[in-house]
Amino acid sequence: MKTRKQGKEIVLTGKAAVEIQLKRHRWYRVGSIYLVLLLFSFLFIGPFFFGLISSLKDNPLEWPPKLSVNQLKPANWIAAYKLGKAGSGQGFFGEFAPGAVVPFTVTYQVPAGQEPIPPQVVVSKRVPGTAGAALLIEHYAADYARVSTVEEVNREILVDQSIRVTYHFTIHHTGNVVCDRLPVDLTVPFGQQFIKATIDPNRPHERLGRVQSWNNLTSGTIPYIFYNYHRVFSENYSRTTGKQLFSSWIWNSFVICVARVLTTIVFASMAGFALARLQFRGKNTIFLLMLFSMMIPAQVTFISNYLVLRDGVFGLSKLFGVDTLLNSYSGLIVSGLVSASAVFIMKQFFEGLSPSLDEAARIDGASTYQIYFWIFLPLAKPAIGALTILTFQGVWNEFFWPLVVFTSPQDRYTLTIGLLSFRRMYGVAFDWGPILAGSVISALPLIVLFVVFQRYFVEGISFTGIKG
Amino acid sequence: MRSIKEKIAPYVLLSPYLFMLIVFFGYAFIRCLYFSFTDYDLFSPPQWVGLKNYLNLFRDFQFGLALKNSLQFAVIVTGFQTIFALILAVVLNQKIKGIRFFRAAYYMPSITSSAVVTLIFMWLFQKRGLINYLLTLVKTGYPIILTFCVFTLLIQAFFIFIEKLKERPVSFFEPSFLFLSVMLSLMVTLILVKTATVTLAEGLAPIETVWLNSKKRWPNSGVLGISYPLGSIMVLNIWTTAPTFMLLYLAGLQDIPKELYEAAAVDGATKFKTFWYVVRPQLRNITFLVVTMGFISTLQMFDQVAIIGDQAPLDAVITLAYYVYINAFPSSVSPKIGMASAAAVFLGILTLLIVLLQKKAVKS
Repeated sequence: MKTRKQGKEIVLTGKAAVEIQLKRHRWYRVGSIYLVLLLFSFLFIGPFFFGLISSLKDNPLEWPPKLSVNQLKPANWIAAYKLGKAGSGQGFFGEFAPGAVVPFTVTYQVPAGQEPIPPQVVVSKRVPGTAGAALLIEHYAADYARVSTVEEVNREILVDQSIRVTYHFTIHHTGNVVCDRLPVDLTVPFGQQFIKATIDPNRPHERLGRVQSWNNLTSGTIPYIFYNYHRVFSENYSRTTGKQLFSSWIWNSFVICVARVLTTIVFASMAGFALARLQFRGKNTIFLLMLFSMMIPAQVTFISNYLVLRDGVFGLSKLFGVDTLLNSYSGLIVSGLVSASAVFIMKQFFEGLSPSLDEAARIDGASTYQIYFWIFLPLAKPAIGALTILTFQGVWNEFFWPLVVFTSPQDRYTLTIGLLSFRRMYGVAFDWGPILAGSVISALPLIVLFVVFQRYFVEGISFTGIKG
Repeated sequence: MRSIKEKIAPYVLLSPYLFMLIVFFGYAFIRCLYFSFTDYDLFSPPQWVGLKNYLNLFRDFQFGLALKNSLQFAVIVTGFQTIFALILAVVLNQKIKGIRFFRAAYYMPSITSSAVVTLIFMWLFQKRGLINYLLTLVKTGYPIILTFCVFTLLIQAFFIFIEKLKERPVSFFEPSFLFLSVMLSLMVTLILVKTATVTLAEGLAPIETVWLNSKKRWPNSGVLGISYPLGSIMVLNIWTTAPTFMLLYLAGLQDIPKELYEAAAVDGATKFKTFWYVVRPQLRNITFLVVTMGFISTLQMFDQVAIIGDQAPLDAVITLAYYVYINAFPSSVSPKIGMASAAAVFLGILTLLIVLLQKKAVKS
């Protein structure tokens, strides 16, 4: 009796041990899966994330690349707010206005044996970016600013006998016009090392560390953080109309997207319904031609299509008083009313619906149009959702065809073509700030759309893919 | 008897699409064929020249380069992205919490435009960009990486040894142990780095490879070497398209009945054998689709080349699609529509041929 009981107990503990081990096993397995998933996430999100934070940096090509960004430090936000307030009374969006008194403090370190020398303060006429931006500036702060004498306010001797000196000065506005920027350069002798200032400089190491420069002291918090974004809009104006180029591009892309999404939904559902649920002569030929057209590269058809648009679709556009459809919204919309893949998606969807639907309606005497409009269209909501998202994404991202259609003037471009012109303009000077900022802005709508309608994206892919 | 109204209804419903199909595809296709046999500059009427354009095409050195680059690009990118997509799908085909987040995250590169993605990549591939920085980190940080790897292996071997002592069947790459080993080794390495026992290698110059504006080729400078800028575009393209195809594979994996896995487990098949003999055949149709779509899109690669533009030597990145474009809209000379059309027709035929060949290969 006793021995038997003991035996049972031993078996039990053994079993429990195995169970615990299995459980532990399962946990480690889940952990390893998450580890792999995380690694891949770094791979796919990493470049976007790094691009996003670097788009705020003064120099996105800084070496070594850092994850810490001056523009994301709360201390700088507060400093920018105070300086903006001092410059114009507005902390978030500042200017350099008449009567402004801008206080500034800066600290240097001098090695033992060298006598500290106060920095030379210059309000410069420097203009960032392209030459076009210089044309837009009416008043230079350099013409109105007066810098007070630079006073030493603190001196501290460190353990190694080197000296830390803090200087203070103010910049006064002496004129009566508002300047939108206050760029400042500080120059010190060699060996005198910059430590810190009221706000971090945009370029701390000009001329081997002798010059620290600030793009705009009184910018206020928002323009300080989003400096590159501000440049994207403020430095690019159309030579002919004077409109902001980047906002025009956003608007153009948006209008074309909305128009093409609408035409695609209507025309693709009509064609898809006809191909899926109706019997008529030539149906197979049309379907095969459609499949064929999906395999032929756009490079085959674009020359003729270019000519068709140039001549206003066989002169039809002349009826509306337009000679050519190149460089216009309507050209891009007319040539993209509905695509083969959109029809394909709708056809696949309608084919999947029960055959009894239209049979019943026909017995009741409904016409083809009625069946399409009252029965099938309402049922197609999920497919139309996916189609909307996919079309929007496709048109928003389209590059080749807009590049052919839009040549001039610049304010007709779509965002993708606009970004190309950005690359040409800023890329030459390795000025990546505005390029990255522009990229982020143009990617943002799609990312928001994706986060909200993720399900439709995934469904759309499987519509085109699996069933095809 | 159906009324006439009913009879024409299908055509009425189809008419907008038919308009597109006829004007912007059929007409355009035939005109392209016609242009390819003519001399045409978009303004004066086309002159019939027979096969001259096609002959000139094969005499044009740049066309040869474009063809080589396109084929290289299509084969390498399609191959890698298919494998990569399959691996991703297998990894993601898990029933664990938060999987939706990861799925969304991986899909991010696919939804953003080629313009944005190319610009971000151009920036990463700058001489002083992130890619060179990471390579430099690997170069100077090799003692740390080596330490980590050695410790991972040692700890893993120790675990396996104990399991073997207890006479349990276990493979060397058992993921649950691997996870533990990686974590423990990470801790050990961290301690060693903090105590400065292991440090970065010193005195090594940072890597400053010029990726884009370079005529260098890999693995050798011969005609068949991959040019650096084209290689960079390959990396970019694999990175952006793999997630799209991953979704296709994922859907396919989820369609495989559970019984198949169970049967394989009962027969004592290893993970790899299950994948190779059970899962892979089930995914054949999807693989066909993925490879076909991959070839069609990679053969047409244009955007990346156009966006990189003068930041890379033209000969190093030119593809067939870009060749067509610069012949149709050259920046200084008058358009050579005949040559452009001939090249476009060639590209079309090449695409169809590869798709057909592929289809045959899958069927046999």
